[in-house]
Amino acid sequence: MESDPNTQHFLEEAHASKFDFHSVSVKAAGDERLRRAVNNAVVRQDTGRKQILSLMPNPLDLRILAGDIKQHALDHLDFYLDQVRANVERNGGQVHFASTAEEARRMIVEIARSRGLKTCIKSKSMASEEIELAHALEQAGMDVVETDLGEFILQIDKDKPSHIVTPIIHKDLRSIATLFSSYFKTPYNEDPKSLTMQARVYLRDKFRRADLGITGGNFLVADTGQVCVVENEGNARQSVTTPRVLVSLVGIEKIVPREVDLSVMLKLLARSATGQAMTVYTSLFGETRQSGERDGPEEFHLVLLDNGRSEILAGPYRETLRCIRCGACLNACPIYRNIGGHAYGSVYPGPIGALITPLFQGLGNFKDLPQASSLCGACYEACPVRIDIPKHLINLRRDIVTQHLNSATERAIYRVWASGLRSPFIYKCVAMFQKWDLRRRSKKTGWVRKLPFVGAGWTQIRDMPAPAAKTFHQMWANRKSGQ
Amino acid sequence: MNDPSGVMNKVRRALGRSEPLASAPTPPAIEDKITRLAFADGRLPELFTARATANKMHVQMTEPTALLPRLIALLQTSTARRIAVPESESLDRLGIPAGLREAGFEVARWTEVTLDELYDFDCAVTDVYKAVAETGSLVMRSSPKHGRALSLVPPMHVAIVERGNFLPDLIDLFALLRKEGNSAGITIISGPSKTADIELNLVTGVHGPGDVQVFVLP
Repeated sequence: MESDPNTQHFLEEAHASKFDFHSVSVKAAGDERLRRAVNNAVVRQDTGRKQILSLMPNPLDLRILAGDIKQHALDHLDFYLDQVRANVERNGGQVHFASTAEEARRMIVEIARSRGLKTCIKSKSMASEEIELAHALEQAGMDVVETDLGEFILQIDKDKPSHIVTPIIHKDLRSIATLFSSYFKTPYNEDPKSLTMQARVYLRDKFRRADLGITGGNFLVADTGQVCVVENEGNARQSVTTPRVLVSLVGIEKIVPREVDLSVMLKLLARSATGQAMTVYTSLFGETRQSGERDGPEEFHLVLLDNGRSEILAGPYRETLRCIRCGACLNACPIYRNIGGHAYGSVYPGPIGALITPLFQGLGNFKDLPQASSLCGACYEACPVRIDIPKHLINLRRDIVTQHLNSATERAIYRVWASGLRSPFIYKCVAMFQKWDLRRRSKKTGWVRKLPFVGAGWTQIRDMPAPAAKTFHQMWANRKSGQ
Repeated sequence: MNDPSGVMNKVRRALGRSEPLASAPTPPAIEDKITRLAFADGRLPELFTARATANKMHVQMTEPTALLPRLIALLQTSTARRIAVPESESLDRLGIPAGLREAGFEVARWTEVTLDELYDFDCAVTDVYKAVAETGSLVMRSSPKHGRALSLVPPMHVAIVERGNFLPDLIDLFALLRKEGNSAGITIISGPSKTADIELNLVTGVHGPGDVQVFVLP
C-alpha cells in the first residue's frame, strides 16, 4: 500500500541530508485540516494538564523535586547504570549496552534470530522509533506488529508518529476509517468504538501467538533493576506477559535511583501528558519467570541505548536528558500547534525535539530547528522536570553562530548591520531613509502592504503600520531642547 | 554484560571521572510535605472508592456476608459464563470459587488452565495484592498462584479488596515493595483498558478488560 502523499513528502524532506525546516513548516502551517486536527487535540490535553496540576497542593515543589531526582541520576549515571546492570543480572536478565542505533538493531535482531523467534508484539517506545527497530526486525524476516492502537494505525499506513504521546494526532477519523476499510477489506465505518474493536480482534490473535515481546521503558529503577512502563491500553502488559522472550530497549538517561522515586515521577507523568492522575496500567518488570510461574518471560534482555546520549551528558546540555517524554511542551507550544510534529523532521518534535534533535543528529543538519520557537517560555512552564528549553534553544542559536554554521550571506548582513549600529551617523541616515521610504509606501492606507527584496517575506503574510512622523531620536532631541 | 563499544566508559568519561565512584551518592530526599497526597489516618476505603469511581471502575462496598450473592447477581447480569480465578486463600475463605460453581458458572483456577486457554474466558475474579487509595488503583503481584494474564486477558475483571489491602499513597506502595521484595511482575491498575488515539474519542476495552468491577469489604 502507498502511504499518504503528505506523509511521503515529509519523510522525503526528513531524509534529505540537510533538513529544510522552512519549506516543510510553511507547507504544514498551510494545511488547514492538519492544523485543526492538531490544535483541537493538543489544546484539550494542555487544558487537562493545567487543570489537574492546579488541584495538587504543591505542584511546583513536586516538579522541582522531580527535576532534581533526574539531574542527580544523570550526574551519577555511571554509578546507577552499573547498579541497574548488577540488579538485572541478579534477577536473571541479560544487559546489553548499545553505543549506536545500528548496534542496538543488530543486538536485538541477533537475539530474535538465534532463538528462532517468529512473531513479535511491540509496544510503543520512542527509543524504538529513534532506531527504527520495527523495520530492522521485519527485514530480518520477523512478523512484527505494533500493538498500541495509534502505532498500529501508523504501521499499516506506513506513516510516522507526529506526537510523543498521542502519535496519530495528525490523523482524523475519516482517514483512519478509510484506511481500515482498505486494510481489512471491510465496509467503511466511522465509529471509533468499532474501529478500535476491529484492531483489538486482529491484535489479540497476535498476542496469543507471539514469542517475542518488545517494550521501551518510561523509567529504569537502579536499586531494583526494574523497568517501569505506563500505558492505557494493555498492549505493553501483553508484551511482558505472553511471549517467551522479552526485550526492553531503554535510553540510558531513563534511570531513577530508587523505586520510591517512582512515586514522584508517576504523579507528574500522566498529569503532564494527558491530564490523567494515573495511566490505566503501570507495569514494573525485569525479572524472568519464577519457578512455578505460568506466564511472563523466560528470558529478559535489557538493551541500554546510548546513541549520542553520552555526548550530550558531557556537554552543557546535560539537563535536556532529564526529559520524561510526557509531551507537555508539545501541547503548550504555539509553533507545534500550528505545524504539527512531522515538520520537525525527526521522531522527537515540538520544543524538546527542536532541542534534542540537533544534539542527537548534528546541529549542522538541523540548524533551523532551534529557530522554531518564539521563546515564549510556555514549554518551560509546562515541563514537569523543569528543563529550561528556551535557554538551551538560545544557546544552540549561539552555537550556530560561533561554529559558523549559518550562511555566508547571513554573516555578511550581520557584519554590515553591526558596523551601522556602531556609527551614530550611519544609523541616523538609515533611520531617516527608512522612515521616508515606509511613509511613502503607506501614504494611502496608513499600512505598508508590500515591500521589495528581503522585505517581501515580512509583508507576505502581514501588513505593517506606517512609522511615526518623527523618529525616537528626533523626539528625544526635541524634548531636550524644550520644544 | 555485553558492552562491545564501551558505553559504560564513555558515560564515566562524560562525567569527568576516570574511576568508579568510591561510595554511593545520596539522591534527593522524598519529603512527605511535597510528595504525599494521602495519609494513613484518612478514610481509605472511602477515598479509594471515590478515586476508583473517577477512574471509571465500578465500585461497590459490601459486607463480607453479602459479597457472594452480589457477585453472583453481577455476573448473571453480564454475559460472563466462564470464569478464571487465582489460587487464593482469601477467595476460598470468602467461598467464591465454590459459590460461583454452585450458581452454575464454569470456574477454573489459574493453575488448571493454560495461558492460551485463558483467552477464551469471559471474566477473572481475583483478590489484590494492595489497593492504593489516593490513586484509586488495584495493585497485582504475579506469582505461581496468580498469573499476570488473569487481570489482563479476559474482557471483564472483578477484584475483591479487603480492609487490610489499603495503602494511602504510592509512596507507601513503593516503600512496601522495596521491603517485601518485588516479585517478577507488578501491575498498578487504575481503570478499564482504554484509548483516545482516534481524535481523542474515548473507547474502553482495547487490549485489557473493558469492564473492571471492584467489591470493597470495609
